[in-house]
Amino acid sequence: MLLFRDEEHIDRWCSARDLSRGATLTPDQGWRLAHAWYKDKLRPEWRRHTLEETEALLADVGLAGAFWDLRGE
Amino acid sequence: MTGREGRAAPMTVPAAEALARDVRLYVFRRAAESGRVPQPAHIAQALGRPQAEIHEALKQLAAGKVLILAPNDGNVWAANPFCAVPSGFRVQAGEKTYWGICIWDALGIAAALGKDAVIRAPCGDCGAPMRLEVRNSRLAHSEGIIHFAVPAHHWWDNIGFT
Repeated sequence: MLLFRDEEHIDRWCSARDLSRGATLTPDQGWRLAHAWYKDKLRPEWRRHTLEETEALLADVGLAGAFWDLRGE
Repeated sequence: MTGREGRAAPMTVPAAEALARDVRLYVFRRAAESGRVPQPAHIAQALGRPQAEIHEALKQLAAGKVLILAPNDGNVWAANPFCAVPSGFRVQAGEKTYWGICIWDALGIAAALGKDAVIRAPCGDCGAPMRLEVRNSRLAHSEGIIHFAVPAHHWWDNIGFT
């Protein structure tokens, strides 16, 4: 996951690598996702999120649709 | 008994899980305290265990996606969000400098530490320096847009690229 100056820079990066454009987040969405994902990682009782917990976490940040579908094909 | 470099003696499942937990706690605490991710020899010395056992514990943690091993040498590449090697995603928190393997992990370092932090990252396209700042568990300053190239269900197919 990379940070870009703006949309034009994302398009140029994807085009240079012959990649389809993925999905974008605002920095605030990125922070909220990172916070939810990692805030407990140093705790002794930490465990990986379950699939359902991860889905809820993505939804809380407003990430929905096929790109964010964890179950996939 | 094993030598420090020898093969790990078979361990019971509970013993292996207990060691993996000890290794996890040590690696992440050390990374958070020092900004440096400890490697197998260091972990073995700190925990007083043969290095072969530490390698097995790290493999178990990697299989559980708790951390990421370097492809060929069994070293820890990232106790994510903490990257073991300097990267373009630099996080300053207090007096310590940390690195993330991507912008998500750089933000994750601030989240895991629960500290204010300044994150510096280059534009993925042109390399222009950008700055984000976390203060009081909020993003106090930001610029740019985050791009995920890989759909969520393929993130772990090639975590290095993701």
